[in-house]
Amino acid sequence: MEIDRLDGRTPNQLRPLACSRNVLNRAHGSASWCQGDTKVLVAVYGPKAGTKKNENPEKACIEIIWKPKTGLSGKLEREYEMILKRTLQSICILTLNPNTTTSVIIQVVNDDGALLPCAINAACAALVDAGIPLKYLAVAICCCLAESGYVILDPSKLEEQKMKAFAYLVFPNSVLSIHPEEQLQVGGEPMEHGIITSVTQGAMSVDDYLHCLERGRAATAKMSAFLRKSLQPQLPIDSSKAGLVDKIFGYNILQLY
Amino acid sequence: MALPDASGDVLSEMDVDAFRRLFPLRFFETHLVKSTRPDGRSLAEARETSSALGAVASADGSALVKIGSTRMLAAIKMEVMTPSKESPDEGCIAIDFHMPPICSPTVRPGRPAEAAPVVSKQLSDTILRQVKCLSCCSFCGMINLKELSLISGKAAWMAYLDIYCLDADGALFDAALLSAVAAFSHLQIPVVSMNDDGKVVVLSGDHGGKEPVNKGKRKLTLSSIPLSLTCLLHKNYILADPTAEEESVMETLVTVVLDSSGQLVSLYKPGGPVLAYTSAIQDCVALTRQRARELQTILDEVTSGMEVD
Amino acid sequence: MAGKGGAAPSTYSPSPTTQKTKSRIFGNDDVDWVRSDGREFHQCRPAFFKTGAVNAAAGSAYAEFGNTKVIVSVFGPRESKKAMMYSDIGRLNCNVSYTTFATPVRGQGSDHKEFSSMLHKALEGAIILETFPKTTVDVFALVLESGGSDLPVVISCASLALADAGIMMYDLVTSVSVSGLGKNLVIDPILEEESYQDGSLMLTCMPSRYEVTQLTITGEWSTPKINEGMQICLDACSKLAVVMRACLKGPDSTLEE
Repeated sequence: MEIDRLDGRTPNQLRPLACSRNVLNRAHGSASWCQGDTKVLVAVYGPKAGTKKNENPEKACIEIIWKPKTGLSGKLEREYEMILKRTLQSICILTLNPNTTTSVIIQVVNDDGALLPCAINAACAALVDAGIPLKYLAVAICCCLAESGYVILDPSKLEEQKMKAFAYLVFPNSVLSIHPEEQLQVGGEPMEHGIITSVTQGAMSVDDYLHCLERGRAATAKMSAFLRKSLQPQLPIDSSKAGLVDKIFGYNILQLY
Repeated sequence: MALPDASGDVLSEMDVDAFRRLFPLRFFETHLVKSTRPDGRSLAEARETSSALGAVASADGSALVKIGSTRMLAAIKMEVMTPSKESPDEGCIAIDFHMPPICSPTVRPGRPAEAAPVVSKQLSDTILRQVKCLSCCSFCGMINLKELSLISGKAAWMAYLDIYCLDADGALFDAALLSAVAAFSHLQIPVVSMNDDGKVVVLSGDHGGKEPVNKGKRKLTLSSIPLSLTCLLHKNYILADPTAEEESVMETLVTVVLDSSGQLVSLYKPGGPVLAYTSAIQDCVALTRQRARELQTILDEVTSGMEVD
Repeated sequence: MAGKGGAAPSTYSPSPTTQKTKSRIFGNDDVDWVRSDGREFHQCRPAFFKTGAVNAAAGSAYAEFGNTKVIVSVFGPRESKKAMMYSDIGRLNCNVSYTTFATPVRGQGSDHKEFSSMLHKALEGAIILETFPKTTVDVFALVLESGGSDLPVVISCASLALADAGIMMYDLVTSVSVSGLGKNLVIDPILEEESYQDGSLMLTCMPSRYEVTQLTITGEWSTPKINEGMQICLDACSKLAVVMRACLKGPDSTLEE
């Protein structure tokens, strides 16, 4: 199981993570997220009144706008928008703000592999920054499968191109509940083992996929610790922001994680 | 909402159809606890599936696929292009999925359906996935693009595959993929020759003294055919091949694509309120295995019928 | 990934399109010629109709005249677009589009604006718009395969779909066209005949009421020719209405004219 990665990482080693919140002044919430050289900037506006047509007005609606680094958005961007929308819908508590729309704008700053997972992590941080009520956080990771069957995590663009198959996986982070008996268990598996989103490309055997799942879960535990740490409330509350109430709300929610 | 113990009364007092519209989730759950579904299927049962080849006379290959009420019409038109410098002996396939306004009340003209580009992209990824395999062999996908070459460096086929959804009632990707596979199995590549201007033209019956460029290469070899099943997760239930109504009420979808050799081509779960655990994933894969066998039989039947006539 | 090398390369169809010598014998008045499908000049193609072709629609119909294959779906009456002004009577919204593979040379599959507005005008007079005030009925047609006389088939099929949807109408609307080829008038022309025609006449009528809702004439016509053409069309329209009525009444029926 020895493999040389171009940047000298071990197969399980992630690239350095960096997250900063509240980077944009006008947005209600914003975050930038870096995984190595992949960087994504996310702005959240809302909740604004009303939902779009064909959306359920009894729930909050989430709108995703994906801006590629250059050029116009095409089918790939549409697909990413749809995946992000469904993923974020599943972590938000939509019934709290019925008949509202929250816009999430994803700006790709640099793509060096694992773009979609990076965007999901960034969007999640920005939603917390905007004080949108969430059930739990989502942690996304990219697992790559090489010809010989070994798995590497968080690939760079070059590595992605050389691989036989890869899987983007999104898991919920572990919930630290104030009620210890509420440690969520579903059918003998802890909640954070459940998959929110899975997107794969390339052919692999089912066992390889399950192997990816295992490795992904292990890695997301570390990432979710990082995410939690970087989302600690930034006190004192930034008074330049109009959304004071949002901030306090966000703080309360954070206590639950 | 009424208390759970009053649900029996609610059901008997209210018209079933009204109940279905007002409390869709509870309507489905009353069926699910009895391991059945409103259309009489069991949970793991897919809808009746049929396929017909050659529905479009003006195309080089076409297929009509029905899964329950969902209907897809796929047609392939072959055109000629100059291959790129990087791959002079390879043709190309362009896949597009359309949802015209006739197929669903939610699609309006001028505003393309949200799902259409996503399904389009998924289909391209599934059918043309030779990109990741540069190291092992030049292709691992369903179609070897080298078979689409006519004259190396000068001319190659561009296969335009267009899939139209005629009636949208859930599991669009499954039906679209099946129709795409069926259309490729029906495809008859026209016999062509090079004319004096260096253009490739179709040879008519008498050959006109010209030598055909692609003698004996009228069919594509389809290796490792991908087939799929979409499952819907709700609580601990797994519903195979959901209808549009089921998809709108219970939102968590998992699409599994397996190829003929049992390899996992795609496991696609775009979000959804229900988390998928390992056991659910394994169940979905097992259901897809079974379904892929059914679909393969259906495909074999229609293609063997084609050879007879 | 899909289209290698980014921009799609320019392609051309290998089928010869222009090499045929113009108007073989159609224009030649001295020669007795037969139509390529063996029909007589005043004989329509066998017509096949089927209602309920699309489950998702309120009403729908499929029509097949030789190689011309059309599906029409009717939605509504439903809420008008928000931008629409208040209206005491209902609105009719029509759209005709072609599949990319409908024509011998691959098309763009875009909307056919001209046919859309002609379909609207042909149907408008027959529908009792007063029965659904403030709302809109949408009539969407998709030409699966174009084999000549597309618009008349779309119109007849649309009126059948409206009847299937239970929209109140004064009468069914049927439509037939004739092409002028030399001194001859050929009814229900196929694509090849249409491309060589000197002029065309399309008549849309309500057969039971013997009222014309639309008449389109292109090319050069003498008055007696117009009378002859209209009479042929009116006769064919009433025969077509019998086929359509049979389809509405009984189970699927095919009838030859």
